[in-house]
Amino acid sequence: MKNNIKYFSIFAYLLMVVVSSCNKDWLTPKPLSIYSPENTFVDATGFKAALGASAKNIRDEFFGDGSPIITESIFSDISVEGTDDKTGPAQNMDLQIRPDAQLNSGDFNRIGWYWDQEWIGVRMANTIITRLPLAKSLTDAERNSFMGQAYFFRAYNYYRLTNQFGDVPCPITEITTAKVDFATVKRDVILKRMKTDLEYAVQYVPWTADKGTVNRGACYHLLTKINLALGLFDDAIASSTALINNGTYKLMTNRFGVDAGIASKNVTWDLHRPDNKAAAANTEVLMLVTDRLGSAGAFGVGTGLGTRIMRQAVPGISIGTNIVTPNGKAGAAATGGNEIDIMNLYGRGIGRCRSTPYEYKDIWDDAKDLRHDSTSGNYMFMENVRYFAPALKTSDPTYYGARMQLYDSKGKLLCADTLRSWYPWPHYKLYVPDTEANPMQGGHSDWYVFRLAETYLLRAEAYVWKGDMANAAADINVVRTRAKCSPYTASQVTGIGTILDERARELYWEEPRKTELTRIAYIFASTGKSYNGKTYTLSAFSTSNFMIDRILEKNIFYRTNFVTLHNDMMKISQYHVLWPIPQSAILGNTGGRINQNVGYSGAELNVPALDKIPEQ
Amino acid sequence: MTASSSPLIVLDGVIYPGGLEDINPNDIATIDILKDASSAAVFGARSANGVILISTKKGKSGKPIITFNDNIGFNKLANKPHLLDGNEMLDFRADAIWSMMGYDSTSKPGIKYRYQNPTKLPSGSISQADWMALTGATGDVTTEWLNRLRLKPIEITNYQAGQMLNWEKLIYNDNALQHDHTVSIAQRRDDYNYYLSLGYLTNEGLTVGDTYKTFRTRLNLEATAAKFLTVGMNFQFSNRDESSIPVNLSDVTRTTPWGSYYAADGVTLRTSPNDDPGNNTHPFMDQTYTDRMYQYNNFFGSLYAKGKLPFGFSYQVNFSPRYDFLMQFNHQSALNPTIAAKKGVVDRRNQTTYSWQLDNILRWNQKLDKHTIEATFLFNAEKFQSWNSTMHAENFAPNDNLSFHAVQSGTLPATIASDDQMATGDALMGRINYNYDQKYFLTATARRDGYSAFGQQNPRATFPSVALSWALNEEKFMKGTQKWLDYAKLRVSYGENGNREIGRYAALSNLTSGTFVFVTSGGTAYNGSTVAASNLSNPSLKWERNSAINSGIDYSIFNGKVSGSIDYYVRTTKDLLVNRSLPTVTGFSSILVNLGEVENKGFEMSMNTVNLERKNLTWKSTISFWLNRNKINHLYGATPDYDPATGKQIGSSEKDDLTNQWFIGHSISSIYNYGIQGVWQVADAALAKTYGYKPGDMRLVDLNNDGAYTIADKQFLGETTPKYSWNLRNDFRIYKNFDLSFTLYAKIGQLSSFSEATNSQLNGGNVFYDRSNFYKIPYWTPSNPINDYAGIGSNVGGPVSWGVYRASSFVRLSNASLAYNVPSQLAKKWKFDNVKFYVNIVNAHVFSNWIYFDPENKNGTSGGAPTPYNVNFGLNITL
Repeated sequence: MKNNIKYFSIFAYLLMVVVSSCNKDWLTPKPLSIYSPENTFVDATGFKAALGASAKNIRDEFFGDGSPIITESIFSDISVEGTDDKTGPAQNMDLQIRPDAQLNSGDFNRIGWYWDQEWIGVRMANTIITRLPLAKSLTDAERNSFMGQAYFFRAYNYYRLTNQFGDVPCPITEITTAKVDFATVKRDVILKRMKTDLEYAVQYVPWTADKGTVNRGACYHLLTKINLALGLFDDAIASSTALINNGTYKLMTNRFGVDAGIASKNVTWDLHRPDNKAAAANTEVLMLVTDRLGSAGAFGVGTGLGTRIMRQAVPGISIGTNIVTPNGKAGAAATGGNEIDIMNLYGRGIGRCRSTPYEYKDIWDDAKDLRHDSTSGNYMFMENVRYFAPALKTSDPTYYGARMQLYDSKGKLLCADTLRSWYPWPHYKLYVPDTEANPMQGGHSDWYVFRLAETYLLRAEAYVWKGDMANAAADINVVRTRAKCSPYTASQVTGIGTILDERARELYWEEPRKTELTRIAYIFASTGKSYNGKTYTLSAFSTSNFMIDRILEKNIFYRTNFVTLHNDMMKISQYHVLWPIPQSAILGNTGGRINQNVGYSGAELNVPALDKIPEQ
Repeated sequence: MTASSSPLIVLDGVIYPGGLEDINPNDIATIDILKDASSAAVFGARSANGVILISTKKGKSGKPIITFNDNIGFNKLANKPHLLDGNEMLDFRADAIWSMMGYDSTSKPGIKYRYQNPTKLPSGSISQADWMALTGATGDVTTEWLNRLRLKPIEITNYQAGQMLNWEKLIYNDNALQHDHTVSIAQRRDDYNYYLSLGYLTNEGLTVGDTYKTFRTRLNLEATAAKFLTVGMNFQFSNRDESSIPVNLSDVTRTTPWGSYYAADGVTLRTSPNDDPGNNTHPFMDQTYTDRMYQYNNFFGSLYAKGKLPFGFSYQVNFSPRYDFLMQFNHQSALNPTIAAKKGVVDRRNQTTYSWQLDNILRWNQKLDKHTIEATFLFNAEKFQSWNSTMHAENFAPNDNLSFHAVQSGTLPATIASDDQMATGDALMGRINYNYDQKYFLTATARRDGYSAFGQQNPRATFPSVALSWALNEEKFMKGTQKWLDYAKLRVSYGENGNREIGRYAALSNLTSGTFVFVTSGGTAYNGSTVAASNLSNPSLKWERNSAINSGIDYSIFNGKVSGSIDYYVRTTKDLLVNRSLPTVTGFSSILVNLGEVENKGFEMSMNTVNLERKNLTWKSTISFWLNRNKINHLYGATPDYDPATGKQIGSSEKDDLTNQWFIGHSISSIYNYGIQGVWQVADAALAKTYGYKPGDMRLVDLNNDGAYTIADKQFLGETTPKYSWNLRNDFRIYKNFDLSFTLYAKIGQLSSFSEATNSQLNGGNVFYDRSNFYKIPYWTPSNPINDYAGIGSNVGGPVSWGVYRASSFVRLSNASLAYNVPSQLAKKWKFDNVKFYVNIVNAHVFSNWIYFDPENKNGTSGGAPTPYNVNFGLNITL
């Protein structure tokens, strides 16, 4: 027994030696292919990469199938959801825009996408802002510039959040633990903080920088929007003037870029060519996002996605047999590569983002306007398209290759679905050649986020709010005359409607229309100014506001409660001025209360929003 | 709840990290399942989800034994709903479009018949002329009808020519063949024994072109090097070929029987058979125009030495390395008309995995009178490493004829990526087994386990366990029972073990890197880098802990005529590894944490009986029955409650996780959703409208009758896990040479998602009811006002999100087999030791009310691959 114990002890000892010898860092995790914050956010390269991620994060709004910008457009006067062969698209907002409903799907709407993605943007910026002071190796100039750029991205996302959702929580530092006790902060409190941040940014961010990154022009532009949102019209005039007068950025008024040699085209066409947006010659662009076919950072790399813009916004010419010749034969084919290759010229549209007559007809008040010109091929009307179904060559040769018509000689309608398959569209904006999909859907392209043309329209808006119609007209005319329109006289600027009309002409698929309408609705409500003889208040914002009144005035589909072929009604209500806070965000915040917007279920549990931003 | 819960596989005494598909079933000698925590503890704290012990064969007799196992089987379709044929589809389409028009029956006289076949209008309904006049149409009535049904020109042409495609015939292999051949040789001599096998299996799937092949070999070798030293190795190699490209089944339902198979040239596949490329591509498109090589090779071995030491000590060392090599090469040809513009697309992925384990085991045995003591000490170390590279290229020049072999000729090399990983672990264990007089048994174990995923602060955790058992029948006072009681043993055990099955770096903040194009002021584009965190780190993450109490009895009575066991357990899991939902305001959706407590209580019994023992007939049965009840005790701890009026804290309480659908006091698999009371009928149209629905839509239960569907109307509908399960096996031996057996098993009381009842399968993707084809399931119309299926394209959106669930209880005849053993004299005459023929039917039948594919394997909502039943014919020869 004694010996046994001895042997046992020896073996036990040996085992202990083996164990302790490899004890030290045997179990330390060793990440091989991933970076960690501690070894990345230490130098200029690391922070540049972090800012790069913030820039990339704002890109997706304009890209892919059911791109989010569509949701911004259908909550406005310019578009509606045209999909009418399934349940799901946001048409009857009363039924479908609810906190608990599907809010992040191309087949429904992208409200939840904005909510998620904007908070990711805030988080990315907060990480940079929190870690910059700790990075000792940076020079002051680098640190200040990076800080300004990070402030830009945070302000960009908060500007969107506060005009989509109103009062929201406001984290301003990096979150490193499972925080679940957020509280809602008042919108103007958040925006005032963003104004301060951007006033810092415009001192330190350089005037020019590589395209795709932030420059001082973009900071002034965003500051102008925030000044307007706060009702500080003089500040807005000052910040936009600082940008316009600096001279680094100028409107493009002459032919340039890839198609400059094609005499039938014009500067409006040139401005929106995919290859020209980031071109050296382009002095108008303030901020853009990039998407290049073949680069590893391309949108939806490997999946064949890109802008997909032609699929979203071009009419569904080839859907079903919606379009027939006067002889009743199917006029279009859904395949690319036909003799008359409509599908690979305009793309295979599905009419998901369907323009309103306001957008394609009512606002065009000058026949010379290049932005609505079909002779040069900028703007397309269905009557410009030819019947191209190959079967027609034998079954209906009279009409094969003839121009499409909406009615036959006896007045019989030749399009079974005019909502989805028959409306004009701005080809100069939507034409993004697609080498990956056949038929084309809309390929890869850089996209404008901010252009100097909009800066002029923002300053014009500030003048309108101040009642200075002469200066407003002067700024609008800078944009109009570039498109070869006759200038407006001061008396032709009748109010905010003139600004909104010009924005609709110039900024289709660029401006987030809902965000801007809500911003303007807040200005009406806080200033008490009248629109069409009606005034608004902040206290009744969700029951009576400018935005929904404007939509019901200009968007015939919502005004008349248009019923689609799928038997769905188009309907929007006053409380839709603010989108619902997704229910999951409220439920996940178990330690505090995130308020729901008035009009949506759950708002009865709201607590007063904070007057101050919590520092943690 | 987040960490994986698959059981640990122990192969020939060492932990096996590979897949079961790499082990040839013919090599397996025994399979045991360890359930109680104490016995599982030997194999590491990872055994929380149970342990499957697999032992492979060894040489058994002095002469080499050669065995041939050959079987050929047929896979056949089972439990598949009927896909509408051409004419059925047109009837369906008529109702689908009628539904899209709001079932219009009133706007014009006879409008109800607008989509009906004009040549088969019911008498007294409407004349053909009036039918044409409904849309002011002229010309051929049939063409007009097909136009109204939105058929494409190609479909109209084919209908008029009577050319219908039978897609089911085109895509399904009616008699898919399965071959399985294994040959083995085994022998035992005084100082060595070996087992060597080679196996080849090829299995055709139910759909055309779906083939799976595997080659597996094994060598088990053991030699006595000296009286006190045994050395050996178990070695396994397998190759799996998963190169086949399945038919795209969802495209089969998205196209129609009236399309054409080929394009106009008669050679190229038609991009979309019915010229609707926005909705479908040719189901054979990928299979025809893709060149694929997916090969998986793996080696698993275990090398060991067992030595006897003086004074009752023995020592064993195991080293078990595993190598995995996978190649996934894929080339989509430029000939594929849907991606012709891309001029060839190639993806290549290579991954090498190397992992090893080292076990050092010291044992000590001592017997003193009636006391038997065995002590075991174990030291274990392990390491996992993998190296993965992927590349993607497109736009091949001069052409893509070299398939995936010349990725450098792609002019658009879009991505090159690598992902390498490493993990380490270790363990220490001490265990004492003691028994007195083979009557009283005690096992006590302590383990300390370490894993690098928890390595920042809590790499190691200690897990104790203890088990007691008592062989009742050995007691003197039980003497009187000896007549009928052969054996009875009472057991009770308590044990703790852990779970570590999370990502190797899940506790770290992972900065995802990528690129984004920037453009210099000169207009030159370059790739800039991007980094952003993809998750929150949790440095304090630790092992999930599981503590279980098991009690049970093993028994055998009436000379072994009845034997079995009965068990009851309570298992409590704490510090669960959970992806806790976060408010998205954080910029993250969740964080991996240790939280909460879940309890599982269960009862299990099994009984083996010999029902009949006659000269020419024996009948044996095995019955098992088990149930488990799961309950969440705690989640994230108490958080404050606020008064909505004042915003002041008025108390605190523990909250449910509504995002993950986890509710305190309920099972993890609870379904908390809106009840469905039927379908909105025409008579209730006005009421339906107030809820945002219309006749033909599913009618939800308005629990609180407040006239609106809100979150307050949700209720607990049931669970997705069975209430109880049972298994019954019967074996008959007839005339000594025939073996007949069948096995039934059942899962009773569970609910499964059945969104098909909405006839609006948004999630399955079949959204275009006026453009696709469908499986035959009932649907509502005003003239067929059923209450359990909604109308075609019913509204599944609406004010709230909800789902449809139906009971999916079933009893399955999982196996029926008949074997004939050639009498040994006859076999000997043929120079064989043993010859056996058998026929075996797997998944012979399912008894269930479930109608859509298999109740257990619904597999997606739109045309998931059906579960086969198969018939095997086998031959087993031993030389």
